[in-house]
Amino acid sequence: MIEQMIVNGLLAGLIYVIMALGFTMIFGIMRIVNFAHGEFYMIGAVVVFILAGSFGWPFFLAVLCGGLAAGLLGVVIERALFRRLVSEEMPSMIMSLAVAIILQSTVLIVFGPAEQSVNRPFSGVWTLGRAVVPWDRTVVALGALVVLAGFYAFLKLSRLGLAMRAVAQDPETSSLMGVEAGLVYSAAFGMSCLLAGLAGGLMAPIYTVGPYMGELPMLKAFVVVILGGLGSVPGAMLGGLLLGLSESVLSTQFSSGIALIASFLMVLLIVVVRPAGLMGRIAR
Amino acid sequence: MKRITTLYAALAVLALVPWFLGNRYVFHIATMITIMTPMAFSMGLMLKLGQLSIAQPAFMGIGAYAAALLSMQLGLPTPAALLCGGLIGGLMALATGPVFLRIKGVYFVLLTYAFGEVIFLIFQEWTSLTGGMSGLYGIPKLSLFGFRLAQTYHYYVLGLVFTVLCFLVLRGIEKSNIGAIIEALNEDEMLSRSIGSNAIAWRVAAYTLSGFIAGISGGIYAFYIGFLSPDPFGFRGSVDLIVINTIGGTGSILGPLLGAIVVVPLPELLREARQYQLLIYGVCLMASIIFIKQGLVSLGRRRGGKA
Amino acid sequence: MTRVLDVQGLTKRFGGLTAVSDISFSVEKGEIFGIIGPNGAGKTTLFNVIAGHYKPTAGRVAFAGIDITAHSSDEIGRRGIARTFQAVHLFKQETVRENLRRAEVIARLNHPFALFSKSKPNGEVELEDVARFVGLGALLDVVAGGLAYGHQKILGIGMAMMVSPKLILMDEPAAGLNPSEKREASTLVRRLRDERGISILIVEHDMPLVMNICDRILVVNQGKRICLGTPDVIKADEKVIDAYLGENYEFA
Repeated sequence: MIEQMIVNGLLAGLIYVIMALGFTMIFGIMRIVNFAHGEFYMIGAVVVFILAGSFGWPFFLAVLCGGLAAGLLGVVIERALFRRLVSEEMPSMIMSLAVAIILQSTVLIVFGPAEQSVNRPFSGVWTLGRAVVPWDRTVVALGALVVLAGFYAFLKLSRLGLAMRAVAQDPETSSLMGVEAGLVYSAAFGMSCLLAGLAGGLMAPIYTVGPYMGELPMLKAFVVVILGGLGSVPGAMLGGLLLGLSESVLSTQFSSGIALIASFLMVLLIVVVRPAGLMGRIAR
Repeated sequence: MKRITTLYAALAVLALVPWFLGNRYVFHIATMITIMTPMAFSMGLMLKLGQLSIAQPAFMGIGAYAAALLSMQLGLPTPAALLCGGLIGGLMALATGPVFLRIKGVYFVLLTYAFGEVIFLIFQEWTSLTGGMSGLYGIPKLSLFGFRLAQTYHYYVLGLVFTVLCFLVLRGIEKSNIGAIIEALNEDEMLSRSIGSNAIAWRVAAYTLSGFIAGISGGIYAFYIGFLSPDPFGFRGSVDLIVINTIGGTGSILGPLLGAIVVVPLPELLREARQYQLLIYGVCLMASIIFIKQGLVSLGRRRGGKA
Repeated sequence: MTRVLDVQGLTKRFGGLTAVSDISFSVEKGEIFGIIGPNGAGKTTLFNVIAGHYKPTAGRVAFAGIDITAHSSDEIGRRGIARTFQAVHLFKQETVRENLRRAEVIARLNHPFALFSKSKPNGEVELEDVARFVGLGALLDVVAGGLAYGHQKILGIGMAMMVSPKLILMDEPAAGLNPSEKREASTLVRRLRDERGISILIVEHDMPLVMNICDRILVVNQGKRICLGTPDVIKADEKVIDAYLGENYEFA
């Protein structure tokens, strides 16, 4: 029982981590709380639904395309709508609400409200100790690990990654040092949406695909990011796994509703007691 | 001065329109406007303090469920249940305010968001009390002084009275010394506090009032519709209120009023093209952020001087 | 009981850094008391602890015999201690009159419950009286943001007066002023004490001004008390001269 709960928790947690990373990165770099984050997840899933489901493309290629589509859309939206609102926390937050509504309704108009399902590219289960692990979840988890490793390498090794970390830490000094903020904003927003799109694509066969599917992952990302500290990358990692585990335990013991209430109560407690989150520093 | 008089006259005429059209459906839309306008006021009041509260629909829900359950389960007379709903909404705000209102900016938004979600989930999960997602049926109609409010237009009149009352009270506050104190707090908290302004106490007072207003709106809604489900009290509800306040403008109490008149009928007018209503909603919100930062009210002001 | 403000063993540490270390002094009734020190000496931290923005690590602050150590800035304001700011804080969109009126209203209705108590409003008369006193009588209907910087600072003092304080804490009242504005400000500070009986605590960078108007002066450096005494004592003190060595200060 305990093994099963831990395995389930970690499997869910990995996806939360990916969602939360993108969300927290945009806040860290642009001071924007992006309520549209879940919609990029949804777009990744919709692309997988079209390419893998309707055209029969290989699953992973479809996921990659889903991620890229979400990422590109993110870059365009950042440039057109968010650039003018960088560091204006309230207007940019409301703008993100508008973006969320527009993306949702566009998909609603094109695809209709029905929840569609994507054929599972993998089936069956394997056992790890006394825990039963479905193969499709395993593949999602492996995919998530690859994405995380890639993101980590990008952040640590590439020049753009370095520039992004620099801007997150100290925008003024970085601009003095010659970091071009505009490029970093585009890259960060695109990257964040790419991550969300990949997560959505990976999860497409697990749940159904529809215009509103991004809302719950967005909610989870939000919880994770508050737990870990808004703007903190290690915090998002820790928070994601923590939420995955606590949810798994609480929903097994009680119900998923109770698990969700508990996670929001945790958020309330954290914001009141330690607004910077578990790993965050108080932003200036 | 003249312009503002014209505006009030136009609003008064507008309020009578449902009777000219005599259509029950028009009365329904009008009633929803009179329920949502005080809600928008309650969010606008907090915006005046520089705090965006996502929890307002939660207070509305608390008022709605409280009024419905008090009259159904405890047999409280409906007007008393309505009043209690408002008071419980206010008390919830009073209880959470001293903790929440120490937090500012984005964190306050996120805090009230989480609080709203908790309340929403409680409505959804506590099925023995609220009926959960399948809803709460059989809410009685409101009876005032032995008169049973059974028709849609009865609730329209009730909503209208409550809206006008809220408008007058909030307008009075805005024009009074309290308005100046609140504006001062929002503009320069450090200065206000150095002169002795008890910032938290003022914020809590405003928050409590906003919770009360939302609670009463919820009660009217419950008795009007006669059925409750958690849906209208979730995040969607807050988005509606944000849209109303953004489009209407937050500079003056007229903003949320005009915003509600424009925004609330929108989904109803677009009934045939349901999937397009969300899109138009989103585009309006986006346009209002880009083009009219101060909202509809500022358009009038820019042309006609100070409103 | 002639001590208006009594500070005992005040210490403030930020992490490992001790910004203020064991400072004691008191301000007598009707006194103009100055705190000076080189840049980074801990003056501003000391000021902020007294004004209620930081909680001290150790020590106590008493006002008129009442302990106000851990009180917040608004509680301190309500006790009768007003303050002015180094960088001007005003309601810049409003007129001078409205600024003064707001200060009075905020002080009188400091809490929602104050709406129900019957305290008498001091009204327009005092407002114009204060405006005349600080020399802004002719500018009552000018928008505060449009005033000359010197006048903005003076309006800050006027707003502090609307609270009818017993003590005003002034954070670098001369910063950013030209020589003639500085003279005006000095005169105003003296008149506040002489004509209104308000005690004053000044934290200031401008040595000549402090030497000129203060009855007693506390010199701090690196968070510690160097010397305390009348301007004559300060001028003669070796340690003070050492502390300022290399800063090119001229003692007036």
